[in-house]
Amino acid sequence: MKTIAKKDVKALLSLWTKEYHVLAPCRTARGDFIFADFSEESFTLDYKKPPLPPKSVFLPHTEVIFTVENGQFKETVTAHNVVLFGIRSCDMMGILQCTSFMTRDRNDIYYSTKNAMARTVVMACPGPQNETCFCTTTFSGPVAHKGFDLLFYDMGESFIIQTGSKRGEDILMSGPLSDIDNAVARRKIEAFTKQAVENIPVVDEITEAMTRLESGNVDEKIWEHFGQKCIVCGGCAFVCPTCTCFNVYDHESSPGHGIRARAWDACLYGGFTREASGHNPRATQASRLQRRHEHKLLYYNDTDVQGGLCGCVGCGRCSDYCPVRIGTLEVAKALVSN
Amino acid sequence: MGDHPSNIYELRPVSIIRTLPQIKDHMLFQLKLEDGTTWDSFGHQPGQFIEVSIFGKGEAPISISSPPTRCDTLEICVRRTGRVTNALFDMGRGSTFHIRGPYGRGFPIENLKRYKLLLIAGGLGLAPLRSLLLYALDRKDDFEDIILMYGTNNPDNVLFKYELLSFFDRDDIKYLYSVDRDEEGIWKQYVGVVTGLFDRTTLSSDDTCAVMCGPPIMYRFVLQKLIHLGFSKEHIYMSLERMMKCGVGKCGHCAIGDRYCCMDGPVFPYTEIENIKEAI
Ligand SMILES: Cc1cc2nc3c(=O)[nH]c(=O)nc-3n(C[C@H](O)[C@H](O)[C@H](O)COP(=O)(O)OP(=O)(O)OC[C@H]3O[C@@H](n4cnc5c(N)ncnc54)[C@H](O)[C@@H]3O)c2cc1C
Ligand code: SF4
Ligand code: SF4
Ligand code: FES
Repeated sequence: MKTIAKKDVKALLSLWTKEYHVLAPCRTARGDFIFADFSEESFTLDYKKPPLPPKSVFLPHTEVIFTVENGQFKETVTAHNVVLFGIRSCDMMGILQCTSFMTRDRNDIYYSTKNAMARTVVMACPGPQNETCFCTTTFSGPVAHKGFDLLFYDMGESFIIQTGSKRGEDILMSGPLSDIDNAVARRKIEAFTKQAVENIPVVDEITEAMTRLESGNVDEKIWEHFGQKCIVCGGCAFVCPTCTCFNVYDHESSPGHGIRARAWDACLYGGFTREASGHNPRATQASRLQRRHEHKLLYYNDTDVQGGLCGCVGCGRCSDYCPVRIGTLEVAKALVSN
Repeated sequence: MGDHPSNIYELRPVSIIRTLPQIKDHMLFQLKLEDGTTWDSFGHQPGQFIEVSIFGKGEAPISISSPPTRCDTLEICVRRTGRVTNALFDMGRGSTFHIRGPYGRGFPIENLKRYKLLLIAGGLGLAPLRSLLLYALDRKDDFEDIILMYGTNNPDNVLFKYELLSFFDRDDIKYLYSVDRDEEGIWKQYVGVVTGLFDRTTLSSDDTCAVMCGPPIMYRFVLQKLIHLGFSKEHIYMSLERMMKCGVGKCGHCAIGDRYCCMDGPVFPYTEIENIKEAI
């Protein structure tokens, strides 16, 4: 196996930029950190849970799907050779679940073309990145078990690098790397993983809530309660690594000319299911919140789960960012509270 | 299906060959493919739908109203509702626009063949059911007798009136019509909601399959009747409507529990959705 000194990671990423579009954790001028184009100045290894999952690399917030000239539609599939460096294990599982959904039955080439051209480099977590992480519950972390091209383990001054694919091997062909004895590396990885798993407690309420939803043993008033509180911002869906819903719209700049685009949408919005007649099968905010949570915990697709527990990968972002604290953790706890 | 275009959102140009006004704000459009192919190769089944795509206005899912046994044209029956449908009404003969499809799971033709067919339609719900009705009539050897129950809100709103009248002397198809209201007293048949028609005929529940499509309110009442009459749940099918954007199982708008109306439906066997609370 290979190792790399932490101080040399920048050099490795610089090397990759010659051939790939490298996205990596970067510190912004205002002190936040985001995944952005790698630059020596802004790159940082001192980061926790990224505020946004990497789904926008494959499903951009807004994407032109056709340009239209003289009424003729021209498809606009764009993709680059991307390296996604330093994503978290839960987000790797998020990518796997989205990819299964977007390519299953009918292949969405806007998504899959971008996905096929990306290399994923996962950063294993030594413990929770904040108090809302529950990846040990959802079998999605703290150490990725599939999907990655490379997996980095933090060993203090250096990383041990596990390869997950031929494509991962290829990007390790050169760079400031050294070899480490396989048996030694494996022992260290095992110890790292054992400790990391111990550091992240399992949230029994999640599995219990799933069982309750399955058997119909839930107090419907819980949805009413959350429905009253929700301010319908849609934030929970936008920060979620497994939410993929979108809207499609046209922009006609002059007659017969313009674009057809798609943009993220969210099942929390009343208009999401409202039909032209005015009829809305999910007429209340309570029913829309119920939908979001049932999609994650009850109505997920078995194929799409990809070895995880359900349609939620335990990143905790909906709990982090909902302004009125209606995250999966809070909802699961409420569902099992009586 | 190797002949699916590789881009699932790819559009095909069509033109309007004829517009046939039905009732107020409802028009039947006959379409022709403009890419040199014919409807035989389109591969549509009764109960499927297309996305009508009018650039600048958007896309709207519309049922295919004609059967695959009549491939000289493709017919859609459209209600003037909003942006896309208004734009369609503003187009005349010869105008072109785009479509995608055919999409969704249609009526389970093979399962229906051994049974009598009870078609229950409310309002514009007749549009998709007509594709099945005409299909069964064109393939009469494969099907048993047909009963059509059709309810509209008033006598002025009967769709496909002349076509339905033209079947009047056939003895293998039986009609029962209802109107919710008849303020002018001109309606000679049943006045009341469509479920009232169940009391005006005898149905043999063991050898009949019921297929329904109509406004949301209709389903629950019709289901109650059917179950009461001893129909087994396996013999009940329904075509459901949902807000749709992509039509191909990706945008998420049409989800019903763990199903997608655009892919797994719009036609569902009752047994598949009876336990999904938001379905009906
Ligand atoms: C499977 C299916 C079959 C249908 N068959 C027919 C038919 O045969 N004839 C007919 O007249 N109507 C049919 N409808 C309803 C028809 O799709 C809507 O009336 C139409 O989308 C209205 O579009 P609009 O742009 O004119 O209206 P607007 O209100 O301007 O709609 C804006 C957008 O909202 C979406 N939308 C709004 N209402 C609906 C809806 N009920 N279902 C799906 N998407 C919606 C569409 O994407 C549309 O572009 C069907 C709907 C479904 C789901
Ligand atoms: S983030 Fe919270 S307030 Fe916003 S839509 Fe989601 S549940 Fe509602
Ligand atoms: S539902 Fe919440 S915790 Fe689960 S994956 Fe989505 S954002 Fe993360
Ligand atoms: S219409 Fe997009 S998923 Fe069904």
